[in-house]
Amino acid sequence: MDKKNNSRRNFISKSALAAFAALAGTKIVFGENFPSELEPIGLDELETPEGIPGKSDALTILNNKPWNAETPPHLLDPEITPANLMFVRNNGIPPTEYDLEKWTLTIEGEAAQQKKTYTLKKLYDNFAHYTYDLTLECGGNGRGEFNPPAKGNQWGLGGVACTRWTGVRLKDVLNDVGLKSTAAYIGYYGADTHLSGDSSKVVISRGVPIQKAMEDESLIAWAMNGEAIPKMNGYPLRLVMGGWPASVSGKWLTKIVIRDKEHDGPKMGGQSYRIPKYPVPPGTKVPDEDMKIIESMPVKSIITYPKTGAIIGKGQSFEVRGHAWAGDLKVKAVMVSIDFGVTWQKCELNPPKNRLAWQRWKTRITLPEFGYYELWARAIDENGKGQPMVLPGWNPKGYLNNACHRLAVKQA
Amino acid sequence: MTDQDKEKVYEQAIKQAKNTINVASVLVLAGVVFMIQLTYFPQFFSSTDQNISAFDTTAVDPMVMTMDLDPTEIENGIHVPSGLIVDDGVDLVIRTCGVCHSLGLVTQNKADREGWKDIIVWMQETQGLWNLGATEDAILTYLANNYAPVDEGRRRNLEVLEWHDL
Repeated sequence: MDKKNNSRRNFISKSALAAFAALAGTKIVFGENFPSELEPIGLDELETPEGIPGKSDALTILNNKPWNAETPPHLLDPEITPANLMFVRNNGIPPTEYDLEKWTLTIEGEAAQQKKTYTLKKLYDNFAHYTYDLTLECGGNGRGEFNPPAKGNQWGLGGVACTRWTGVRLKDVLNDVGLKSTAAYIGYYGADTHLSGDSSKVVISRGVPIQKAMEDESLIAWAMNGEAIPKMNGYPLRLVMGGWPASVSGKWLTKIVIRDKEHDGPKMGGQSYRIPKYPVPPGTKVPDEDMKIIESMPVKSIITYPKTGAIIGKGQSFEVRGHAWAGDLKVKAVMVSIDFGVTWQKCELNPPKNRLAWQRWKTRITLPEFGYYELWARAIDENGKGQPMVLPGWNPKGYLNNACHRLAVKQA
Repeated sequence: MTDQDKEKVYEQAIKQAKNTINVASVLVLAGVVFMIQLTYFPQFFSSTDQNISAFDTTAVDPMVMTMDLDPTEIENGIHVPSGLIVDDGVDLVIRTCGVCHSLGLVTQNKADREGWKDIIVWMQETQGLWNLGATEDAILTYLANNYAPVDEGRRRNLEVLEWHDL
């Protein structure tokens, strides 16, 4: 950031604070129940250097309190998403102090044989290490397109990443603790704190059925892309369970509970990370008891090259490429259309590096004549389910939008 | 800093100074009018119930409320530091919603009055939001008027910010 910009920002921030100070003196509009010890923090971003700690300023910031940011699709082009480009989806405030010597992970719960606590060193020394490329996608990725709109961060396409995770298998640790035959579900707890500042409030505590937890690729990870996990993505320890809404992969991990029933932590129940049990017309209010938990994410693909807005010279052919993934499943085929879905061209498709990694696809395209075109990409999973070209089933919280990615190109 | 940059900074400074003078003039004028009214029509300013009027935002002249924002921070009808549309009740939204979360969470969302009410209730039930009392009505009116949903069908047209040669 250059100096001029900086001083302008300082000017804004000081005058904004001055405005707040002046406003706080007026008694008219606070309402009788306003907690007077709180300072407005909605303008916080103006007091801190621009951007998210440890993240590229090329990310699109959706929210700064808590930090939420997504990756523009063309920056997801690499096989493995670079650490500073991986999306950020925080529900609370990440911890600010880390004592790696003292950081512990406790496993307990009514379906655990015992309560056991591990230091990071103990996890590292006592269990075999595994590395997998795992696709994590926010359950609300694509929410911004739903109509009528759903509340929450209005994600576009970039709440997804495939990075290389290293750690120990969750099942090895769970087996070391010992599971009772009643074990049905696991839930996580992390060291992040609630936005309200209330330290007794748990920010988010979600989980998965025991079957998913016991898969080979379900990791307790301490490294991403061969380095420490970025602070905004869960440093120093997190769960990684690819293919499911990323919210099941708890960050800043301190505790795992082994439950004898569906886990009931904050954001497991109600309408959070849930969709209606039956299809509903757009805009329907669906009672909580008619909602079900999202498990494996649906098939989806993105075009990472070219960037939208490309102008192609007459007669030129160009490569179109991207990634495709399908929750717990593999992607069977990807096709691209340049004529609004009238005809489709089949793409080359690589197998995943390992289970739950996204798959590279590519093809070459020649536009027939001068004019405006849209590139549409559509993936189909191994069970034959494909991406819809319009928005999929509307749901109250705007999850699971896997409508095909479209971008605009022109031939000169 | 280049000469061109300096020139821009000077220009900006002069612009801001002009703005400040304009605002000051308006405030002085308003002050004079207020004093005259207070002197000759004191009954307009006597409150019968201090407690109720203190929290009844609907009784407040909206102009007085929006005057609280720094006019130099308003560009094209947007309060730049918060990103919110300037309209009656915007200061209430800044001071209420901005206590706990980014105001970006307001500007990126769209809902009708009922939808915004649902969001407030959800925050009260799960996120520790307090009872908004009489301010709720003004906040809902602001949100429903300025952040209403637009029917965009099953797929909207693509927008390209920047065309580039491949």
